[in-house]
Amino acid sequence: MSTYKIPVGPQHPAIKEAFQFNFELDGEIIVNVKPRLGFVHRGIEKGMELRSWVQGIYLSERICGICNVPHTTCYCIAVEKLHDVDVPKRAQYLRIIINELNRIHSHLLWLGVLGMELGFLTFYMYVWRDRERVMDLVELISGNRVTPSMNFIGGVVYDITPKMEMAIKKGMDYLEERTKYYKSVVLNEPTIKVRTENIGVLNKSAATDLCAVGPVARASDLKTDVRFDDPYSSYDEIPFNLVTYSYCDVFARVLVRVDEVLESINIIRECLDKLPSGPIMKKLKRTPPPGESTVRVEAPRGELMYYVKSDGKENPYRVKIRTPTLANIPAVCEMLKGYHIADIPAIIASIDPCYCCTERILFIDKARNKRWIWSHSQLRKYSLEWYENGGRR
Amino acid sequence: MADPIISLIQILIFPGLIFLFILGLIFEWIDRKVFARFQNRIGPLYTGPRGFLQPLADFIKLLTKEDVTPRYVDKFLFNLLPGIAPVLPVFASFYLPLNGYPILHPFEGDLILIITLMTIYTIIVFMAGWVSTNRFSSIGAARAILQFLGFEIPMFISLASVAIDSASLSITYIADHQPIPYILLQPLGFIIFLIALQAELERVPFDIPEAESEIVAGWLTEYSGPKLAFFRLSNNLMLVFGAGLTTAIFLGGGSGPILPPIIWYLIKMVFVVILSTILRTVFARLRIDQVLSGAWRYLIPLAILQLILAKFLAVLVM
Repeated sequence: MSTYKIPVGPQHPAIKEAFQFNFELDGEIIVNVKPRLGFVHRGIEKGMELRSWVQGIYLSERICGICNVPHTTCYCIAVEKLHDVDVPKRAQYLRIIINELNRIHSHLLWLGVLGMELGFLTFYMYVWRDRERVMDLVELISGNRVTPSMNFIGGVVYDITPKMEMAIKKGMDYLEERTKYYKSVVLNEPTIKVRTENIGVLNKSAATDLCAVGPVARASDLKTDVRFDDPYSSYDEIPFNLVTYSYCDVFARVLVRVDEVLESINIIRECLDKLPSGPIMKKLKRTPPPGESTVRVEAPRGELMYYVKSDGKENPYRVKIRTPTLANIPAVCEMLKGYHIADIPAIIASIDPCYCCTERILFIDKARNKRWIWSHSQLRKYSLEWYENGGRR
Repeated sequence: MADPIISLIQILIFPGLIFLFILGLIFEWIDRKVFARFQNRIGPLYTGPRGFLQPLADFIKLLTKEDVTPRYVDKFLFNLLPGIAPVLPVFASFYLPLNGYPILHPFEGDLILIITLMTIYTIIVFMAGWVSTNRFSSIGAARAILQFLGFEIPMFISLASVAIDSASLSITYIADHQPIPYILLQPLGFIIFLIALQAELERVPFDIPEAESEIVAGWLTEYSGPKLAFFRLSNNLMLVFGAGLTTAIFLGGGSGPILPPIIWYLIKMVFVVILSTILRTVFARLRIDQVLSGAWRYLIPLAILQLILAKFLAVLVM
């Protein structure tokens, strides 16, 4: 039987953002996958260069709607490194709290989306109802439900008062109870189990080879977490467990994320207990001295990396962003092969994709073990030639 | 059936076309409302009291939309099938003893006729997907047929076990001759029938032919506007017919104390609809191969077991 092709995306109910997977199918079985990026390239990195250092915070916040806090954290830490200062202890703890609140919100959102992809709408509605609680807490702290704009170069903008502390602790108790309940649902509901167990298997060596990051890597039993490996913002002072599972399938990715929510709840409690007193902001100069810095943080989806270069002027000379979804795309293409069409949504969702973060270009030729990056002029030349030749590949 | 005017009113108004149409919309409302309440939502709210008119509003809205026929489809069938689809459940419902007695004269064997109509409905679904020439539609159509292979057989066996027990192939006879409803005598058969009905109606966990997140809308992908309205209507009518058949076969039709048969019949139908909604609420969608292996491995053997038990029961009753 010959194979046939179906496109999934750029407009498809399984993928909410503009991204395309071209599937080659044999009956209902996936033979090959080709991802295609570039539908939502927004020129953020160029935009960073055109804006001042402070404006860059708010632009980086808008790279991704869901995991906006790690983006600003990463950018701010990178700029602070250029200044060569440490932010006050209290600000660091507040950064941890807002980051973990963001992680809870992101993971719960993802859990709901998974329910929807599996056709389990009830689960989706319940999880999203409880996610509102986290967003209320973020609103309580910052005044915004989704984008708190908490981080600033040199510290954080909003403080947590004792009254807020009580509210957050109460919210954490509620979320812990609910998350434990959802974990029991995931563990005991047969239809979820048959749809996720032994689906989208990515074994440990493949995960290492394909540079999987974040929960995807941890579900393949790789002990990788920037919060552990390269602690930033006082994460080294907070005890927490690194969640790994060795099943390597979608089910393991669900469990990793659910357990991480529970870990995050504990981290927030720990932070609130240990919260040092003092200022929350250190005033810094408008422009950092010339230099460059690279910072990694653990976003909900995995390792997020910023490279920032300053030449001592008003604007950044270069900001390079590597988002976790991009790192996981080779892994997801590998995971999909050999499974059914019906597994596509669950497997794609299992990397928690966020495509609008992802639009960058880097070429890797694995056969010749070579990698290179195209400059803007090369890309421009290629695009002009491409359109001259009729614009078809 | 002597007076032609009375029979015309029966066919067109009560308990015929208009009654079934309204019932279909009401059942959709009940389904959506119960589904929403289970999910901690409110559900339809603004159109009419408690959103009662929402299904009608949706239907009218779809009718007013642009009627699109894609370029590469089989135009004749593509336009014809949405018209045929609602006819089948309506025609089949004419054999249900909704008002104590069916509209069309019952005969020994109308159960088999109804089974045939249900099969034709599945084939219409398949054709609707196939003539769309869309890749997602074709996958949906193929899945519809596969699912049909898995579920029609246990469904018919569970109907057959009731027929054996009551020694009749007439729905009206079966409905009228149930001192104890068959839901109590053959609970296993009832459960099998309900699961198979869920698959027949393409509801979660068996909404595989139109699985939204996988293959867009499956066999329905290319249909929009009035055509989609008619397919949705036919799905609602299938829900009415399915609930009505379940009531007639397993719940004793319109029999009950004090109230007139039509009220009893409606109460029992609503019970079946709510059961179906609960099933829809508590499960995730299964995969087509899991569904088929489940159907052949568990449902069919259980249905055959029920058939054997029914035979014993029939002998005991004799």
